[in-house]
Amino acid sequence: MELDQIVSFMGLVFLAVVPYILASQGTMLAGQTGQFNVSQEGIMLASASLGFLGAYQFGSLWAGVLTAVLTGALFGLAFSYFTTTLKMNQFVVGLALFFVGLGLSTLAFKLTIGVTLTPPQIPTLNKVPIPLLSQIPIVGEIIFSQNVFVYFAVLLSIGLYYLLYKTQYGLELRAVGESPKTADSMGINVVRSRYVTAVFGGVLIALAGVYLPMVYTGTFTEGIVQGRGWLSTALTFFGGWQPHLIFFGSFFFAAVEVFALRAQVFGSGLPHQLLLTFPYLTTLLVMMFGARWARTPGFLGQNYDREKRSV
Amino acid sequence: MRSRPLTQTVQQRSKILTQIGPYLAAVLAAFVVVGILLLLMGFNPLRAFQTILFTSFRTRNNFIQTWLKFIPLVFMALAFTIPAKGGKFNIGGEGQLIMGAVGAAVVGILWADAPAFILLPLVLLAGIAAGAFWAFIPAILLYRFNIHEILSTVLLNFVSFSVIDYVATEIWPDPLAGHPTTTPIGAGGNLPLLISSPPLHSGLLIALFVALAVYIYTERTSAGYELVATGANPRAAAVFGINTKVLFLLALVLGGAMAGLGGAVEVAGVHHRLIEGLQSNFLALGIIIGLISKGNHAVLPFVALFIAILEVGASAMQRTLAIPVEMVFIVEALILIFVLLSDVVRKDS
Repeated sequence: MELDQIVSFMGLVFLAVVPYILASQGTMLAGQTGQFNVSQEGIMLASASLGFLGAYQFGSLWAGVLTAVLTGALFGLAFSYFTTTLKMNQFVVGLALFFVGLGLSTLAFKLTIGVTLTPPQIPTLNKVPIPLLSQIPIVGEIIFSQNVFVYFAVLLSIGLYYLLYKTQYGLELRAVGESPKTADSMGINVVRSRYVTAVFGGVLIALAGVYLPMVYTGTFTEGIVQGRGWLSTALTFFGGWQPHLIFFGSFFFAAVEVFALRAQVFGSGLPHQLLLTFPYLTTLLVMMFGARWARTPGFLGQNYDREKRSV
Repeated sequence: MRSRPLTQTVQQRSKILTQIGPYLAAVLAAFVVVGILLLLMGFNPLRAFQTILFTSFRTRNNFIQTWLKFIPLVFMALAFTIPAKGGKFNIGGEGQLIMGAVGAAVVGILWADAPAFILLPLVLLAGIAAGAFWAFIPAILLYRFNIHEILSTVLLNFVSFSVIDYVATEIWPDPLAGHPTTTPIGAGGNLPLLISSPPLHSGLLIALFVALAVYIYTERTSAGYELVATGANPRAAAVFGINTKVLFLLALVLGGAMAGLGGAVEVAGVHHRLIEGLQSNFLALGIIIGLISKGNHAVLPFVALFIAILEVGASAMQRTLAIPVEMVFIVEALILIFVLLSDVVRKDS
């Protein structure tokens, strides 16, 4: 490969990595307090659709982002209400919310736009080169000449690492996910921690969703998320529910995605159907080996009832 | 005729009522929520509900369409509930159904000339085997590597989309179809019809028979009870000498076989060929049916029929009132949420 090909490949990887980082970090955040939400795919679909519609109707990308943020927050709030407060099974609630997101995304689009062969477009996000840093050869082009979401995803990962491992509040959150009974007896507000992380986690997943129309397609289609939500969940497991490992793991996922896409465009002799399966098959392979060492928060997927003796 | 004492009848009636009551309340609540939504959007909710609920009974054709929808929904619901009985979540019914359809089509095309009494069983068996195999992958990943089945099953759905696309566009494409479709399977592989016009195929009998067999297996046999016990409390089940890991594997594979049979029945009964997209939204509906019936296999067929009625009504509503079909999907998701909520309410009171 020529140098400029490598640079353009890496640039595309940095573009493709954003939804993985955001959705996985969102999943991880709620997971740190013991909540395993499996509605990522649904939240991403709903926020991609509603975010696109918001941007289109108000003529501003930021209106779209705001719509998506509200969507994600509502999904996170609903999840925590059903599981933390009402103590319903987390998988079942996650699946139900997945379906709601799935139905809502197409419904909202059809009701506002109608069924059309030429869907309306919104302008995609501009690249915002960072002064000086973008002048650095190669690295500047790959990392510092991207859209704002890319910078946000990187800063967010650093911020989450700092929050969870270097602050008292982060320690408290992790305690809730490991042993809520202990956390409770230490005076940590288990319920509030769960609500806060579920809502912010939902927001991050929603940002991952709205990124897709705003960067890739400029519009909403039913197949826009294409399993990225589920892949992100797998990635969260693979990254051992830790922000820094998730961050690096995301690049692997993004590289596979870009590779499969490029091989289709430039031709590789392989049937394109086979290339399309790469992200999913590599994920399964990676999980086979990752499952050996990756650990999950001790209380993941369970609901805390302070009035019960066991747990 | 001897009549039962009045008090006993009343007691029985109130027992049925307490069982059916939460379902009715959940359906009512879902319709109220969506009704308000429709009203706000300027549609007539009463006309919409009338269409959703009664289209199935308006014409002979609609009535048969409802049963045709019912068949795959039963299989997909069982593909979810059997593993769920053992405490495992199979979200891969879609891929298993597709692979079952692919397996059925491959056999049906390769041995197209075989007589019906050989080809038809082979087509159905190929579907069962392919679906079971597609579920065996996540089952073995769970067994050997402890990979969460919810992820491995769902990821394999996406792989199956590529498989069906490859078979329908590269191996046996039908160039005249204008949509990824294979050439037809041999006539011997077609399921006989129960009613010829409008056609209703005998897959209905298979679906009803399988639903009954699963009911007997899970509620009336000791092997089924081991599965239920494992799902209820794996640690206790293990203490009693049940090999829970093998049971997880078995439950997932059995679920896959259900979806695979569903795919084969769609090929042999409805399409007579492989068509991309034949899985429709059966995955989501199957899971919704499974969750609404809360693992009760006696209730499941009735829930499936109800959802089939809603689905047939949904298409009619989109045609006549221009309300997107997804509105009914929201109704179904809401019914599920309200049914789940009714559990919480009952536990508290």
